[in-house]
Amino acid sequence: MPDNCYIPIPVTVDKIREESDDKTLRTFDLSFCDEKQAFDYLPGQFCQLSVLGKGEAPFGIASSPTEKGFLRFTVNRVGVVTTALHYLKQGETIGLRGPLGNHYPVEKFKGQNVVIISGGFAFTTLRSLAVYMFAHRKDFADITVIYGARRPGLLLYRDELAEWEKRDDLNLHLTIDKEVSGWDKRVGFVPTVTKEVAPSPKDTWAVVCGPPVMIKYTLPVLFDLGFPPERIYTSLERRMKCGIGKCGRCNIGSKYVCADGPVFSYAELQELPEQY
Amino acid sequence: MSDILKLDKKRLDKFVAALLSEYRLFGPVEANGLTRFAEVESADALKLDSNTDESAKGIFFPQVETILTYENGKTETPSGPDKPIAVLGIRPCDARSLLMLDKVFGTGKYNDSCWTRRYENALIISVGCNTPRAGCFCNWLDLGPFSKQGSDIALTDIGDALLVESCSEKGRGFLESSDEIPFRKPTDDDLSKAAGVREHAESSMEDKVDISSIKAVLDKSWDSSLWDELAGKCLSCAVCAYLCPTCHCFDIQDEKMPGTSRGRRIRIWDTCMAPQFTKEASGHNPRPTGKKRIRQRVMHKFNYFVDVFGEIACVGCGRCVRSCPVNLDIRYVIKRFMDAG
Repeated sequence: MPDNCYIPIPVTVDKIREESDDKTLRTFDLSFCDEKQAFDYLPGQFCQLSVLGKGEAPFGIASSPTEKGFLRFTVNRVGVVTTALHYLKQGETIGLRGPLGNHYPVEKFKGQNVVIISGGFAFTTLRSLAVYMFAHRKDFADITVIYGARRPGLLLYRDELAEWEKRDDLNLHLTIDKEVSGWDKRVGFVPTVTKEVAPSPKDTWAVVCGPPVMIKYTLPVLFDLGFPPERIYTSLERRMKCGIGKCGRCNIGSKYVCADGPVFSYAELQELPEQY
Repeated sequence: MSDILKLDKKRLDKFVAALLSEYRLFGPVEANGLTRFAEVESADALKLDSNTDESAKGIFFPQVETILTYENGKTETPSGPDKPIAVLGIRPCDARSLLMLDKVFGTGKYNDSCWTRRYENALIISVGCNTPRAGCFCNWLDLGPFSKQGSDIALTDIGDALLVESCSEKGRGFLESSDEIPFRKPTDDDLSKAAGVREHAESSMEDKVDISSIKAVLDKSWDSSLWDELAGKCLSCAVCAYLCPTCHCFDIQDEKMPGTSRGRRIRIWDTCMAPQFTKEASGHNPRPTGKKRIRQRVMHKFNYFVDVFGEIACVGCGRCVRSCPVNLDIRYVIKRFMDAG
């Protein structure tokens, strides 16, 4: 990062892809205008993206550090900054500050089984984690991905998921809420599917990201299966400005989501006042 | 004792001149009936008789600060200050508060250079409080009207003269290198006058209340009904946060000149008392009620800050006590929790 940690570095929009059939989600592949400003990062970290005159907003990095040459972000159009991002055209320059926050504890996952459980557009940093583990496949035992959306058109990275289905070193379970014609995979909510297909908790770490209602009903399933809170991880979202634990906005108790998180274990969250 | 010097008040101009040759000088001034810190260029402008209505934090953490400017997509970043900053006439409470803000901005993984480029080379010259104001309670916070924490040089007002004492290497260095300031050696009478002033100030304050257990008490007070009571009274006007020397929350905003491609990104004071502070673009707000916001403010100062930095983020300056429009007195709030805990 520059000496002044509030100064964004310039990045170019290389690719833009419509990510969902309702046009609310777009994926951007960005590259550094000055390659010397490129940085290393780990799955789970985030960046502040900014459009001059509109402002900054935080987004989890969806690419994996093992993928070189681009940083990927998937943006849900909901406010001023995200709308400005959706209007971007290929070749335009925006600002970026990062990498910010902590990351999924990939060191702890080494030699262990990992189950990724996700719903909707919370899949971004989990894609980063999955791709990272694929690139270091020998470091990890069984990998399971349970990923659901309301309908097929709301699943992120669909082309890539189709490729993942061919892998024999991944247990992939895709699900949608309600049956639609042409869908030959699972139908059912993520917590229900988790109950059916989750691996044994022995030597297994769970990473859960999704809408609050999914998390609410998935956690009891994991606890029933015998996952201890220390081995269940999630990534939190909060309104953020500085991204470095100074501006006072995103705290839960004495922890800042931006600087102490965004990745927390449920054991850590149980220590905090319930405000997330 | 040999370190203590004496300066006649009518020669303060020499002291100010010596400071101005090396520093940009800030001090308490009066404008529109209020006292606040501003850049000064002569000793005449200084108003040293009582603590300021506004705190000193804005000298190092301006209310509005430009992070970058842009035009036609090209950005520029403003250059830092050309001269280091000296503050003359800050009170011990505010000097201490700067040490706390320095923990927030100047430590941790990310150093906030907007802050450190101003604070790290600054010369802090405090003046003891001969007459603490109503509502002052620095004595609750391990401070007193003549504390020296955070000061490089400490002044004591003994009537016609100031006693001048260095409290850091930086302070000593400045005093030793400033030959042109007509310091004298204080007499025994001067020193006993200073002791008298100090004693009078300390005894004029209300009794100290021991709040060393407040963090532990608040650990157990998350669900206290007192929060509802406080929220019922609080107007969320945030004058407390505006005046508070340790409140450091801020926002980052982009401002564009209408009809042009010109604009700037600013950092601007913000407050956890504002409903929009935590409101997300989706409409979700983790702290949607006055109760949750006032709990955040009290908890941040007396619990979370202790957790992270090992001290209470309050210096007892009394500004929030004096300025709250509904008399929501933080001393009373703390006492109520202590009594209940």
